[in-house]
Amino acid sequence: MRWLGLAIVVTIVLAIISLFVGVSDVSLGALLSSSPEDRPMQVLLISRIPRTLAIILSGASMAIAGLVMQMVVRNRFVEPSTAGTTESASLGFLVITLLAPGWPLMGKMLVSALFALAGTALFLRILRSVPLRDVLLVPLVGIMLGGIIGAVTAFIAYRYGLMASLLAWSMGDFSGILRGRYELLWIGLACCILAYIAADRFTVAGMGKDFTTNLGLNYQRVMVLGLIIVSLVSAVVLVSVGSIPFLGLIVPNLVSLMVGDNMRRTVPWVALGGAGFVLACDIIGRIVRYPYEIPISVVVGVIGSMIFLFLLLRTRRYAA
Amino acid sequence: MLNRSPAILAAFVAGALSLTAMTAVAQDKVITHPQGETTISGVPAKVLVQDWAAFDNLNALGVAVAGVPSSNGPSYLADAVPADALPLGSLFEPDFEGIAAAEADVYFVAARSASAYETSKDLVPTIDLSVNNGAIIEGVKANITKLGEVFDLQDKAAELNAALDAKVDEVKAAAAGKGDALVLVTNAGNLGVYGPDSRVSWVYNEVGIASALADVKDGDHGGDAVSFEFLLEVNPDWVFVVDRDAGTGENTGAAAALLDNELFNQTTAAQQGHIVYLDPQAAYITMHGYQGVMLLLDQVLAGLNG
Repeated sequence: MRWLGLAIVVTIVLAIISLFVGVSDVSLGALLSSSPEDRPMQVLLISRIPRTLAIILSGASMAIAGLVMQMVVRNRFVEPSTAGTTESASLGFLVITLLAPGWPLMGKMLVSALFALAGTALFLRILRSVPLRDVLLVPLVGIMLGGIIGAVTAFIAYRYGLMASLLAWSMGDFSGILRGRYELLWIGLACCILAYIAADRFTVAGMGKDFTTNLGLNYQRVMVLGLIIVSLVSAVVLVSVGSIPFLGLIVPNLVSLMVGDNMRRTVPWVALGGAGFVLACDIIGRIVRYPYEIPISVVVGVIGSMIFLFLLLRTRRYAA
Repeated sequence: MLNRSPAILAAFVAGALSLTAMTAVAQDKVITHPQGETTISGVPAKVLVQDWAAFDNLNALGVAVAGVPSSNGPSYLADAVPADALPLGSLFEPDFEGIAAAEADVYFVAARSASAYETSKDLVPTIDLSVNNGAIIEGVKANITKLGEVFDLQDKAAELNAALDAKVDEVKAAAAGKGDALVLVTNAGNLGVYGPDSRVSWVYNEVGIASALADVKDGDHGGDAVSFEFLLEVNPDWVFVVDRDAGTGENTGAAAALLDNELFNQTTAAQQGHIVYLDPQAAYITMHGYQGVMLLLDQVLAGLNG
């Protein structure tokens, strides 16, 4: 509990740094000496606070989505971007953008979430007919499925001359976040809370179907709840920010190494870890090429792939 | 037959011209270009292009073209493309088999297709019309001159170049004393800045509108990623917008919706209505085409005077 308190403090410190990093002069002094109509306060309210909130919300909810997914699939190396979920959400967003470009973002997001749901369900269906449940085979199947869905998406995008837009969607980037352009992410927070409430069920479901049924739980229902959480979070984050690779994989795994697998205990850690990790990466992205920015997906991709390799090699060593 | 007559007529004329040229003096011309020298005998009749800027230039000179890229045709050139033109593959990947089979007299590559030169030069006389982004107007004029030479249309080429110079001078005069500017590129909700080495560099380098930013090390495609806060601080007097979504096919208006926000609306450019939306296909796809550059110059001029 004491450690959790420390993690909260670290995350808050990162959030405060995030509020004060940027092109405009927003220092504490400037804020205190200016009236609410002046630029520092305006920038803080319109740009900095929304951006920091967007980072915290998307980081926490993507990490939780990864955790839930790992419980549902019972595999440590699965997360929305290694199970076809992100790609399906992207396909859904493309399809609805082509068919009904004038729809409000909320409607587009829901269609995107439905596609994500269907894609993830397809992934689980395929897994059921894969006899060998090797630890690395499961994410491999997911990555392949994601590749196929991604190819279909790319084909459609290419045909309609939308390749550049597709690339821009799938590139996670917080630079365009302003007041009024991130609020959908609060749905991600709702999903996190839902995951916390249902944490015990997911923990049990993570032990297998027979075990779950023996304890008198409806396994199917827990699975569906998990899938809905994962799909909604993936769609919301994709539509508002773009995809953030590896996040749902690294954070839950690191947390599991430290505090174990009881989801009731890990949810707060995973949420904090996700938020803190993305905050740190976004601050780096804003500083390295100041005053220009490096998109978050690039920074997370570089740091994340290194941690991913570390986790893979480590597991190998333990398994051998 | 009748509805396709302009293209056919042009082909006949070109053919007849080449015949007369051959009978009169079957002279070989050596054309130098960024990737070497290519020998053209007489006036080429069957012309293939792998690049829309090259097509734009040929069209400006009135040269008929037999083969064009099979995708990304800019809408401002849509009427100029013959319906029976041979599709030659994408802007990046030429269909070499089709090109070899076409037995053309000359084949133009540029920019995105410049790397095709190594392969195509053994199939058909190939000329690279790539233009350095640092001096686009100069490059376009040089290409027009070069093409005038290839097709014996020197007078027409000189006329076009004079018109381009006049237009540039007109924009220069209109821009004098109007303050600085920034060329923005929007892409699916993200913002980038184009600088003096980009595909619209002529705004800064050759028309003489000062960049609101001292140095932009811009990436070639999306520009340098920036935030709205950044725009607020740089606070340009003018903003020229390349809506990349529209440039590559998506609905227009996306850029206007993106820019209409609480931070951008506080900039000088937004408050004075100094936002000019450039033809995205001319700016993003053709970049170095004569008619495209003229179109963009006209838009800049209309914006500055408006």
